[in-house]
Amino acid sequence: MERRQFLVGAAALASVGLGTEAAQAQTSDSRARVVIAGAGAAGLALASRLRRSMPNATITIIDAKKEHHFQPGFTLVGAGIWSPAQVTEQNVDYIPRGVEWVEAAVAEFDPDANGVVTTTGQRIDYDFLLVATGLNLNYEAIEGMDVSLIGRDGIASIYAGPEQANASATAIDRFIEAGGVGLFGRPAGEMKCAGAPLKITFITDDKARSRGRRGAVELVYNAHNPAVFSVAPVNDKVTEMFAGRDIAVNYSHVLKAIDPGAKQATYATESGDITLDYDFIHVVPPMRAPNAVLASPLPWQDGALAADGWIEADKATLRHPRYPNVFAVGDIAGVPRGKTAASVKWQVPVVVDNLVAETAGRSPQAVYNGYTSCPMVTGIGKAMLIEFDYDGNLIPSFPFIDPLKELWVSWLIEEKGLLGAYRAMLRGRA
Amino acid sequence: MSDFDLTTIYFILSESMGGWLWGFVALALLLLAAIVAGIMTLRKNDTPARRPLVAALVAGLVTTIIFTFLVPIWTLAGAGALAAPIDVLFAVLFALVPGGVVGSAVFVIMAFASNRRVAAIA
Repeated sequence: MERRQFLVGAAALASVGLGTEAAQAQTSDSRARVVIAGAGAAGLALASRLRRSMPNATITIIDAKKEHHFQPGFTLVGAGIWSPAQVTEQNVDYIPRGVEWVEAAVAEFDPDANGVVTTTGQRIDYDFLLVATGLNLNYEAIEGMDVSLIGRDGIASIYAGPEQANASATAIDRFIEAGGVGLFGRPAGEMKCAGAPLKITFITDDKARSRGRRGAVELVYNAHNPAVFSVAPVNDKVTEMFAGRDIAVNYSHVLKAIDPGAKQATYATESGDITLDYDFIHVVPPMRAPNAVLASPLPWQDGALAADGWIEADKATLRHPRYPNVFAVGDIAGVPRGKTAASVKWQVPVVVDNLVAETAGRSPQAVYNGYTSCPMVTGIGKAMLIEFDYDGNLIPSFPFIDPLKELWVSWLIEEKGLLGAYRAMLRGRA
Repeated sequence: MSDFDLTTIYFILSESMGGWLWGFVALALLLLAAIVAGIMTLRKNDTPARRPLVAALVAGLVTTIIFTFLVPIWTLAGAGALAAPIDVLFAVLFALVPGGVVGSAVFVIMAFASNRRVAAIA
């Protein structure tokens, strides 16, 4: 910590000594060592912005993954209208020049000694650590479930990856053709893109209708609590739409086991376990922090976000309260809401601006308001562009788009606009 | 929308369209140059611009109307996806691109055709 304090102090002194309006500057001359754990959406966007804002800093990004997935596009792959190739890119294309990429995973976080250890045994010390590891999909927490089952025996899951999303599209088509009961739902804990389970329900309904097979399929959404969505106006709207489309809802049903042979799913409910027969099921796995984060002192130590290992963070600044030189960004951040790529787009500038300000000897001012966006696809060619903050207030970016109305223009943004905006975000330009 | 400045929009377009962005820019500049050349030709020959203009407007309008219904298909939606006035407005805005290209091309062709007619008469 001493080195970081020295750097901050030196920067502050330099600023005062020169008598400049450093508070207005957008860059920092700091030579701090910044380590970014994870080269997903948040990690790459952080690296790109920091490279420009802190040209003298040593920036290291650590991730073993070579492929990069545009995860917001998984829904469209699952709908059968995008191919896996459309959501698959290479990390090397987005690592900014001047940023060192360590191609390994972080095996150990040691925030007390300001260092991380990679899976290859390399120790990397830092002045600032930005944790952007993403999360783990915990399919194994559902008894009888395994990723290899996706696409077989009526089991779908668009979360596991592009190929699994593609296999899910095939499973949906087979289900619509054969008919029967389709089950949908979501896990009880925090999850990325909480709208996706609803989207895939709407898409299945829409595809069945367009093929004249809606009468042959019964669709049931199993909500994990007494609501289908955590934002009240969206919950009301989706509930109304489900009723209008003859999609049944079971409340407080959490998937705990699956029997692929018997095609039965067991749900934990307030009145005990209930087993439902299905012909098709869309499984959304419980999600948690990666093992290295779970084993570290970084997660919340108590409260609702502790069990799954989400990193303790101030919800306005994403700074770790116990380790002030550590920030958590993206899915791993233990803040309410915020597990979408759109959230990353708003979180990254806050962290970078504050880091730049701090290393330039200024007072960090940027605040993240919990912005989360969910283009709620309600059928092929229509969507609701839902954006909200920590408090559940709808905060539309485009005043001419009604967030609770099914519109083609919202679909246009989803289908044609988001990928370009996402790529620009990875390059720190949006 | 505070973050949607011109720089951001440029980068989003660039990442969305790749090399096509510069192809469209080149096409737009080419058409602009051709329109200017067409106007100069009409003036040089003292030919009224009414006929090329009307033809361009009609061709552009027809193309825009046709493409307004094709734009949803470009987004993998059905032609009947336009559900609200805002949908139609955005579809028209997109359709104005091919409409503008066709209208410009018709104007230029008509302008130079009138030049050839004047030359033949002379």
